[in-house]
Amino acid sequence: MISEIWTEKYRPSSFGELVGQEEILKRIAALTNSFNIPHMLFAGPAGIGKSTMALIVVKELFKENWKENYLELNASDERGINVVREKVKSFARTKSLGKVPFKVIFLDEADALTPEAQQALRRTMENYSATCRFVLSCNYSSKIIDPIQSRCAIFRFKLLEKKDIERYLKRIMDAEKITVSPEAIEILYEGSEGDCRKAVNLLQSTASIASNITAELISTVISSAKPKDIKIVLDYALAGDFQKSREKLLDIMLKESISGQDVIKSIQKEIWNLPIEPEIKVKLTEKTGEAEFRLVEGSDPFIQLQALLASFVLAGLGKG
Amino acid sequence: MTSQTFAEKYRPKTFADIKGQEQAVEIAKKFVGEFNLGKITKSQKKALVLHGAPGTGKTTLAHVIALETKSEIFELNASDLRNKSKLQETLKPAIEQQSLMSNNKIILIDEVDGISGTDRGGITELLYLIEGTTYPVILTANDIWSKKLAPLRKKADLAQLKEINYQTIKDVLFNVLRKENLFLNQNIITKIAVNAKGDIRAALNDLQTVSKMKEPQLLELDERNKETDIFNALKIIFKGKPSNEILRTFDSVNMQLDEIMLWVEENIPAEYSGQELAKAYDALSRADVFKGRIYKQQYWRFLVYENILLSYGICASKKNIKTGFTSYKRPTRILKIWLNNQRTAKKKTITEKYARLVHVGKKRALNEFPIIKQIIKSNENIQKELRLTEEEIEYINRPVEINYF
Repeated sequence: MISEIWTEKYRPSSFGELVGQEEILKRIAALTNSFNIPHMLFAGPAGIGKSTMALIVVKELFKENWKENYLELNASDERGINVVREKVKSFARTKSLGKVPFKVIFLDEADALTPEAQQALRRTMENYSATCRFVLSCNYSSKIIDPIQSRCAIFRFKLLEKKDIERYLKRIMDAEKITVSPEAIEILYEGSEGDCRKAVNLLQSTASIASNITAELISTVISSAKPKDIKIVLDYALAGDFQKSREKLLDIMLKESISGQDVIKSIQKEIWNLPIEPEIKVKLTEKTGEAEFRLVEGSDPFIQLQALLASFVLAGLGKG
Repeated sequence: MTSQTFAEKYRPKTFADIKGQEQAVEIAKKFVGEFNLGKITKSQKKALVLHGAPGTGKTTLAHVIALETKSEIFELNASDLRNKSKLQETLKPAIEQQSLMSNNKIILIDEVDGISGTDRGGITELLYLIEGTTYPVILTANDIWSKKLAPLRKKADLAQLKEINYQTIKDVLFNVLRKENLFLNQNIITKIAVNAKGDIRAALNDLQTVSKMKEPQLLELDERNKETDIFNALKIIFKGKPSNEILRTFDSVNMQLDEIMLWVEENIPAEYSGQELAKAYDALSRADVFKGRIYKQQYWRFLVYENILLSYGICASKKNIKTGFTSYKRPTRILKIWLNNQRTAKKKTITEKYARLVHVGKKRALNEFPIIKQIIKSNENIQKELRLTEEEIEYINRPVEINYF
């Protein structure tokens, strides 16, 4: 059955269909065609084809049996390295089917693991290297410990160029018979922040409303998906109403299930739209940076965000 | 001369000897009475928890019940309850051997607070014991309202022993002095009684110490460290002057520092504003940074800094001491998170199904939920593809989210 979710329906299923990543593609295709791959580390931002590449590799290797020989895990979803280890263990226990003498384990967001957990992962990789190949994906390879990096062939995926994303979207538009104005494509590309998955999701979401997509329509969809109301939180704070600001913040965080880091990101961007003196903008940006730093170090994002809001209250009083 | 402490020597032997706990005595009498008459109906509880602050006479009351009903006490402690076989082994003699002196037995489990809540056995074994017992079970506890004792509360009668009022304590002290042929200045006795804060054992211990002194008039009794409740602690931190004493404020609060942090967080805005607000939150935020470091590095000495910032740091954020009454609020954040989780449970399960199908992490999918929701909502085939349940489909189609707060 072909999925009706476009990110799946139009996911490239062979090396030829991939857009961008030409250099990497050549090397990986050569490895795959030799039916022997090393452990691999895919590094690069979200939505540029890391998971897709892994899927193509296993489909090429195992053909119709790929599902039995492929285990996909997400490090930030699993509860700790032990769960990962257990799953790997039970998957690796049986031998692979077909002529390829190993199975493939794809561990997404491997940089979500702590260095200690990565050490444990390294041991797991060693223990099962006879029967399994690991493909790890991460946003930043610097967050992967050296011993793992040294055991993997590293592939750095580049951000997709605008023309690549456009080419890919064009394919979908033609197949789905929707029309999108050139300005709308422009906005869609900006809204996606170079993330191809996001671009496709935005396109499908908008297309579900109308088949003739205008710039206006796509802007509405994008803004409806953004964490709203961060501005309201800041407005309350600048007006000196700390309690309301704090309540609103908690409300947003819970309802939209957005992380503290995402809130900080929005606050940092929103500062430039606030009616405050340039000097204060700089000060608040510094405070925001400090809050983000502490948020990463600390345990409770909400406490760090409240402390930041208290700085906004001061700025509102002109004492920042 | 005997080396017994006054508290042991003058421990009450009859119900009538017990002062200031009439209500608890009544409940206890009724409980054992009905039990021994063999009239255990289904509604009748098989266990009685005597609870109250230290030194209010819980264990004493248990022993008096035994004396008055001519029962033998069979005492268990928390470690006997660790597992089934250990429990049965310990209980065997009690159940099998007929007592030489009397036919009645009472099973006493002293200081049940010490039982482990999460460990294997523990409370489960205790409930099992109560379920099957043919003898009345009496338990004592300091804090019956603690979370881990919740299952016990349903299975047992409760009798609270109140903190004994200072007048009653004074009477008891006079009585002891008379029997001991001692004389003490009235003021000193009053002082001891007040200082004990409802703890009669403490009062008797102090009395014994003082009666041995040559010049009891010069007595400066050390303030007994009693538990401060969180409201009081907040008052000290928020209103008081920063002093070294402040550092120990949270030591006497029977609450984890994590929970205290939530209380502080909730109530800073009730007390501070402007510059002070920012300073206080800065201290709180730094305390949290140390908390994070403790978790990540398992380096517990950072706790010192967390505690100092949370107490002294918050206290020193203000220019002047504060007066007046502030009503402090219970932290509501955890409750809100819980409520929200209930409400968004469907969102989570939908996201999980979606994430699995499209090879993406759950967290990332959750971040893009508004867009994903629109896609799923508009296409019934996708709903089938994801194997959404009826409730999940209903959630997807729900028009607006209602504001609960």
